[in-house]
Amino acid sequence: MPRAALEHLDALFRLARRLTGRDEDAEDLVQETYTRALAAQSQFAAGTNIRAWLFRILRNAYIDSYRRARSSPIEPGLTGEDAFDTDASASEPLRGDEELERLRSVVAKDIQAALAGLTLDARTVILLDLEGLSEGELAEVLGCAPGTVKSRLSRARSALRERLRDYAR
Amino acid sequence: MDCTEARTHLLDRRRGILDEDRRGALEAHLDECAGCRHEDTADAELTRALARHLPAAGAPASLRSSLERRWIGPTKRAERGVDRRAERRPWVWGLGGIACGAALAMLLAIAWRARAPSDAMLGEAVNDHLRVLYSEHPVEVEGPDTHKVKPWFAGRLDFAPVMAFGGDDEFPLRGGSVSYFLDRKAATLVFGRRLHVITLFIFRNEGMRWPAVEDTPIGHVHGTLVTSRGFHVLLWRAGDLGYALVSDVDSHDLTALGAKIAGP
Repeated sequence: MPRAALEHLDALFRLARRLTGRDEDAEDLVQETYTRALAAQSQFAAGTNIRAWLFRILRNAYIDSYRRARSSPIEPGLTGEDAFDTDASASEPLRGDEELERLRSVVAKDIQAALAGLTLDARTVILLDLEGLSEGELAEVLGCAPGTVKSRLSRARSALRERLRDYAR
Repeated sequence: MDCTEARTHLLDRRRGILDEDRRGALEAHLDECAGCRHEDTADAELTRALARHLPAAGAPASLRSSLERRWIGPTKRAERGVDRRAERRPWVWGLGGIACGAALAMLLAIAWRARAPSDAMLGEAVNDHLRVLYSEHPVEVEGPDTHKVKPWFAGRLDFAPVMAFGGDDEFPLRGGSVSYFLDRKAATLVFGRRLHVITLFIFRNEGMRWPAVEDTPIGHVHGTLVTSRGFHVLLWRAGDLGYALVSDVDSHDLTALGAKIAGP
């Protein structure tokens, strides 16, 4: 398994970098992920999706480090359906090209700041989707039902766009 | 289909992975709903913004080697331990012989490793080519029109697959699809050469271990030609993209196609 686990190193590092915002923190998080994976090797059942397993370990390690840094628990979930005011039936009127122009003008720090403003699961589902994880893998990492992944992803992306509207002014 | 359901399927539709029934219902909804059409356009713009601005680099080499030492090192050390026990047998080799043999083996290993790409990269190239060969639907967008195939990748990858060649009578472009090359998304393009199939994978190359010796001229760049399990594999990189061209055609044909793709 070690070699197979190391094949996902770049993807794990990218997620860590995007979550933490710093190369040094990302390296620490990835080291911690592999340390935990090595310790839990015996619990890894053949046939388990190793990529999802590693991403789940990374996510848990990130939650732990975040808690340590803040000295307070965080809510890793989407904090309920009201986390994002994105119910399509209550959507805002069409904003024409204005939103598109703003999205085109955002810079890297706007995206980092907007992502940081989301709940951890919203951030994670967006970033993991960009890494190409399947619905099943996303459900495994997030610990949710596969049937809820698409709606979580859709709400999370919508929430990110809402936040970017504020930054890209 | 109402707006809430429609919006959960917009991304899958743009990626071309929504099943036919849902796609039909969604497109009928989009025809009627300006709000969801705007959502679709804005969400596509978000994808482009994320691809442009999120850090995309892979793990630093120092982190990789540190982890390799910790994860793979112990096994190798254990193997060396067995060798040392054998070496202690007085009737086997003199100390000088062992040192010379080890030095020679190390030089040969270094020479081989310098030329060979990582096992993972080579294995992946051949396995992915086999998947194309045995797939009932090896392409998602049909060739030979490169003006149809190349734009098809827009929005499906976080990079633009660059190639200077879109197929001709000698190497017709049969089509393309999106797949994975190791841990990353890749543009897969399928060319023909008489009855043979040639598969090209284009992917981001950061964090990959490339062979140190790249001595095969491929258009304006140099790469590496290797043979594995009866297939020729031509590997090269240009800018931040990596290319793997795989087939059982003659190696001269493969490098000729590689040169066309890389450009003069």
